[in-house]
Amino acid sequence: MKRRTVPARLAIVVLLAGTLALPQLTANQFYIHLANLVLLNAIFAISLGLIMSVGQISLGHAAFVAAGGYISAVAALKFKVPPILGIVLAGLLTGVVAALLGKILLRLRGVYFVLVTFLVGQVFTLILLNWESVTQGANGLVGIPPISLFGFSISTRLRFYYFALAAFVLVLTFLWALMRSQYGRAFRSIAENVRLAEASGIDVSRYQVIAFALGSGIAGAAGAVMVHYIRFLSPDSFTFKDSITYITMLVVGGRQAMIGGVLGSLFLTPLPEMLRGFVGAQQIVYGVILLGVLMFLPEGLVSLGRFFRKRSPEAGR
Amino acid sequence: MEYATLLGQAALNGLVIGAMYMLMAAGFTLTFGIMRVVNFAHGEFYMLGAFTAFFAYVYWDIPFVLCLAIAAVTIGVLGILVERTLIRPFRDDETSGMIATLAISVIVQNAAIMMWGSAPRAMPDIVRGTLVLGPFSFPWSRLLVIAAAALIFFAFWLFMQRTRTGRAMRAVAQDQEAALLQGIRINYIYPLAFGISVALAALAGALMGPVFSVSPFIGLTPMLKAFIVVILGGLGSVPGAVAGGILLGFIESFTATMFGSLISDILQLLLVILILLVRPSGLLGQREA
Repeated sequence: MKRRTVPARLAIVVLLAGTLALPQLTANQFYIHLANLVLLNAIFAISLGLIMSVGQISLGHAAFVAAGGYISAVAALKFKVPPILGIVLAGLLTGVVAALLGKILLRLRGVYFVLVTFLVGQVFTLILLNWESVTQGANGLVGIPPISLFGFSISTRLRFYYFALAAFVLVLTFLWALMRSQYGRAFRSIAENVRLAEASGIDVSRYQVIAFALGSGIAGAAGAVMVHYIRFLSPDSFTFKDSITYITMLVVGGRQAMIGGVLGSLFLTPLPEMLRGFVGAQQIVYGVILLGVLMFLPEGLVSLGRFFRKRSPEAGR
Repeated sequence: MEYATLLGQAALNGLVIGAMYMLMAAGFTLTFGIMRVVNFAHGEFYMLGAFTAFFAYVYWDIPFVLCLAIAAVTIGVLGILVERTLIRPFRDDETSGMIATLAISVIVQNAAIMMWGSAPRAMPDIVRGTLVLGPFSFPWSRLLVIAAAALIFFAFWLFMQRTRTGRAMRAVAQDQEAALLQGIRINYIYPLAFGISVALAALAGALMGPVFSVSPFIGLTPMLKAFIVVILGGLGSVPGAVAGGILLGFIESFTATMFGSLISDILQLLLVILILLVRPSGLLGQREA
């Protein structure tokens, strides 16, 4: 383990101060909105990164985001559950569901797992569309209340920015600590070589289920946070396309490092806004960037700046 | 009597979509078996095939058989180019290769939306009339799909079994290193296999164009079903794709007739999960090394 040098610590402090001061620099609500989306997408991407860190790719990640969103939204609308409780509930429930599902699905490795998570996501969208008594079908849920903390309503973009930032730092710190614990070491050894890890007495299935449940649970909770910000939710809100977007962010930012998903979100979230007015072009640019990074910068943007890199990736995949 | 009619229709529909799934899955499984590439853009080549046939048939009045050939050749050549430029760099990295095909799928679909718009277009029937057999009446247009799919698959099977190139492909699928030692050129086999694979998808799309409609979004469902079929039949297994395709077609048709299409889709997924639990390598697949 590399020890953090003084400049590195300084950088973290400067970054944190910068992110705190950031929204004060602009009065433009749209930029603040964009910053909020960057933070949320970053959480989605790094939670997917956690699942990828045990060598499995989930193409159904958006389904867990949507599941969390629906749980919290329905709880708030039908049972008047306070959103902040709903978010916790969403995280716990999606985590538990992911654990149960993972126990079955994670018997599969590699491409089989990818295919099945893809199918699970598709069926989940179908269920959302057809379970109209709860989800309102394609019309979606409207009038979802904003988060309120001790009577303080987080209803403006600026307030939400600080809430999202806190959530983001919380998730990042948790994952940072996790990856440094015995779990993180087990995850990495599994990603590097499943059979070697198995032979060394690491319970691969158990760790994969843990990573899948945690990653999906975080995605569910963050999905709930997002839903109380956007305050509208339909089966189209989070689909297969979003699962691809999260993968794109992770790959473009850098698959090997935790910070990769963050960089990916920072780079890719604002991008479609520059391409407004070109229907379809946004997606094409996403696709081209993804291909380009895969070909010419396989370790992602992270590998551009050594300074931000946490450790040099030994594993090729 | 009416029950029998219903069952007859369901069986015919099952055979039609089963034939399409068979073509889709055969191509999908070929790419995986030979190149170890999971092609998430497979459905987009189906869509491109449908559009090619649509334009050729509706705008240029070319006989449908020729339209099929045009679709297969155009999309097949496109597939070869795609393999050479976009898939080849990821030859030793299954994961990156798969993500690359996701990117290709996004690019192709959105390019199609920009060029042709997202509204579905109806394609006229190729043949009219129905075949009446006792209580059953079968539209000729559907029977044509089944016959054409069977012929196409037979040609593909002959190619794989009887030609040197087909044998070389099977050799690569079995053991790449041993095949290399025999002097089989991977740089020749891979693009060809990919081209044939997406040509099969294009043919499936061209055949189904008159049955469903043609739009940039039609590729997703057949690809989804191809995934289910290869999980049923085993990734990399061509006989598995045939058996799984027909089987899934029947399951889908009968469960949709009885319970509606949503329940049918959910049942299919449960079936897949069940099979994966019992036999992760599929019904006819071999265990992954």
